[in-house]
Amino acid sequence: MAAVPAESDSDDSMDEFMNNFKTGGYTGAFNKDTWEQEFDKIPMFMKTAPEEFDPREYPELGCIQAIIHDEDRSPEEQAKSLKDEGNAYFKEKKYDKAVVAYTAALQKYTEDPELNTVLLTNRAASHYYLGNMRSSLNDASAAKKIKPTHLKALIRGAQCCIELRSYTDAIKWCDEGLKAHPTEKKLQDLRVTADKHKRAAERDSRKAKIKEKKLHGEKEVLLAAIKDRGIKLLKASQRRQRGSDSEDKDRSSTGAISELSLDGLSSQELMGAQVFQDEHGQLHWPVLFLYPEHQQSDFISAFCENSCFIDQLVVMFGEELPPWDVDRKYYPQNLQVQIPIEVQEIINSSVFSAFVCRFFVKAGTPSFMVFAKDSPFKTKFLTGKKVKRL
Amino acid sequence: MLSESKTAELISFLTPSTRPDVKGHATTYILGLSGNRDGCQFLRSKPDLLVALFALTSDPSIAIVKDCYHVIINLSADEKLHNVLVEKVNILPVLLKNIVDPDFPFSDQISTILSNLSRHKKTCKAVFQALQEEVGLAKVVEMFCTEGYNKKANFHYLGLLLSNLTQLPEARSFIMDKDRCIIQRLLPFTQYQASVIRRGGTIGTLHNCCFDHIYHDWLLSDAVDILPFLLLPLAGPEELSEEQNEALPVDLQYLPEDKTREEDPDIRKMLLETLLLLTATKVGRQIMKDKNVYFIMREFHKWEEDLEVISTCEKFIQVLIGDEPAEGMENLMEVEIPEDVEEKLKQADLKEQEELEKEQKRREEEETKKNSDVNQKDGDKESGLTL
Repeated sequence: MAAVPAESDSDDSMDEFMNNFKTGGYTGAFNKDTWEQEFDKIPMFMKTAPEEFDPREYPELGCIQAIIHDEDRSPEEQAKSLKDEGNAYFKEKKYDKAVVAYTAALQKYTEDPELNTVLLTNRAASHYYLGNMRSSLNDASAAKKIKPTHLKALIRGAQCCIELRSYTDAIKWCDEGLKAHPTEKKLQDLRVTADKHKRAAERDSRKAKIKEKKLHGEKEVLLAAIKDRGIKLLKASQRRQRGSDSEDKDRSSTGAISELSLDGLSSQELMGAQVFQDEHGQLHWPVLFLYPEHQQSDFISAFCENSCFIDQLVVMFGEELPPWDVDRKYYPQNLQVQIPIEVQEIINSSVFSAFVCRFFVKAGTPSFMVFAKDSPFKTKFLTGKKVKRL
Repeated sequence: MLSESKTAELISFLTPSTRPDVKGHATTYILGLSGNRDGCQFLRSKPDLLVALFALTSDPSIAIVKDCYHVIINLSADEKLHNVLVEKVNILPVLLKNIVDPDFPFSDQISTILSNLSRHKKTCKAVFQALQEEVGLAKVVEMFCTEGYNKKANFHYLGLLLSNLTQLPEARSFIMDKDRCIIQRLLPFTQYQASVIRRGGTIGTLHNCCFDHIYHDWLLSDAVDILPFLLLPLAGPEELSEEQNEALPVDLQYLPEDKTREEDPDIRKMLLETLLLLTATKVGRQIMKDKNVYFIMREFHKWEEDLEVISTCEKFIQVLIGDEPAEGMENLMEVEIPEDVEEKLKQADLKEQEELEKEQKRREEEETKKNSDVNQKDGDKESGLTL
């Protein structure tokens, strides 16, 4: 720009000076059409700073950045600038970038404990809002180590412990904090919260224990009832004996009880059926009926031990014959039930309970084979197998 | 007792420069004196002796120091000696300075001395004052509540000290400071199994604090939540239905089958009295009803055998299930009792006490009868009451 003329100059040179503005612009003026974009590129008038930028497009911004991050400045100054950068990101809720900045600051200059305390505490806050409770707690602890009375670190540590459900630790942090700051309301409130959660968690654990015990007790009763009837339970897959007796002894009630929870069925539709005892003391078993001739099976979810096979068969086959029974042979009177392992024939009028004790119940579900009485398949199937008749 | 000359000689032995064995004999002799009332009276009249003795608490020999502290414990148990100990011998500043030292080996002895001195109001005030000046009550609470503060001391007697101090309103208002977290830190110790002293001291403190009914709202609120800590020692392992459990305060839900009740009947009585105090206000009564405290008390009443405790329990249950008092009388502590009614109530209390004693006697006689039935000695002797 032209220098301002001295007072002694005449008004003419002033007029001349002013005239220049009417005709020519000045260097660095905005372009009439793109003035808004250009406006936004000037650091002072920016509303938001660009994340990444090319210094050639934004020369002023490039200059400022260079000043801030100039390697020639002392590490302490650089660390402080990085701290400010972190704080700025934090304000904008860009917590991950804040963490980066604080970490860089911590690495730049480590001699100032005050600065480090603040950096660690701020980084802890950033981690907290990112949901990284462990990292936040670590940073708060590190800050506390440098300056044990730093209030923000103490509060943050307690908050992290609560989020991590370490309520006893949270209370410890609060008590430590209250030693240095006895009237700090935030610490008192956190302590109340942590204490409340802790006592609720203790109650939940007591409740769970009692429920488990009750369940266990019920299972014991059931197991005793099964044992009383002489029934033996087998695991779904036979484990090879390793020659020591202790494994057999391990088939304690817990082992057997866990067996009860298996329904041992590969079929997906049949879920969670388990033997149970009704209020009259009768056992009801989930039972599998297998039809080897047609490769079919039926699952009965609750077969009362005191009911007869024939009654069950009537229910299943009485009204209409199954669709897979192409020969129309599977009507109740014509059915023959067998016990799989010993291939023992059962007279259908006999009661379930009379037979269950004769063999091992595999995977908590007794299974029987059902044949049509005079079928050639049955004869073929049973040849070579010991058939006992009752 | 000792003549003047003998006393002077004894005092001369109580200097740091004396031969250790002579010093030891002197302190042992004084310890013996302090063990009986006459000895204490004698020592009371010899303040110079006590000053010299107390100075020996900084003696390099641990045995001597221990004897000295035990003498002071004995002396502090006698109220008549309080004045000379606090004024002439001026033991408080030294004791307080030592007790806060985490490595001091005789902190438990100091705790006992302080709790003895604070029993009666007059010296209690002096103790409180010295305490606030030298150490601060907050520090005492911290030492009491911090496990392992001093590896050689358990600080159980500080509980008794706190309990005694709370007979003073200024101590109570400090402990119940709403801007700080002090009383809350004491609450868990109502169930401290390992020490009846610590438990009793804590509950005694809470009992005294509940005399100030303006604090009741705050004490019963979430900020302090005193109620479960008073009820837990009285709650038992009896199984309640799920519905009943869910209606109780969280800490009393689903108690395990090995839960035991407070074994000391005096402490049980104090707990009930504290709960009774908390029913003085309408809010307190409402909270107790809302939280179904009655369930706990019903089971407790079935279990309790001590007559005095039962009596207090019944008074409490009466309030729990009774109707609200008439308008204007909701705060039981502020109700004005007319003179004739007060007289009647006094008579009723006396009568109740008589009945209690009669019942107690009857029970004892039954016991004796049972025992003498079992131990049949001479056929001639009447198997019956031995009065």
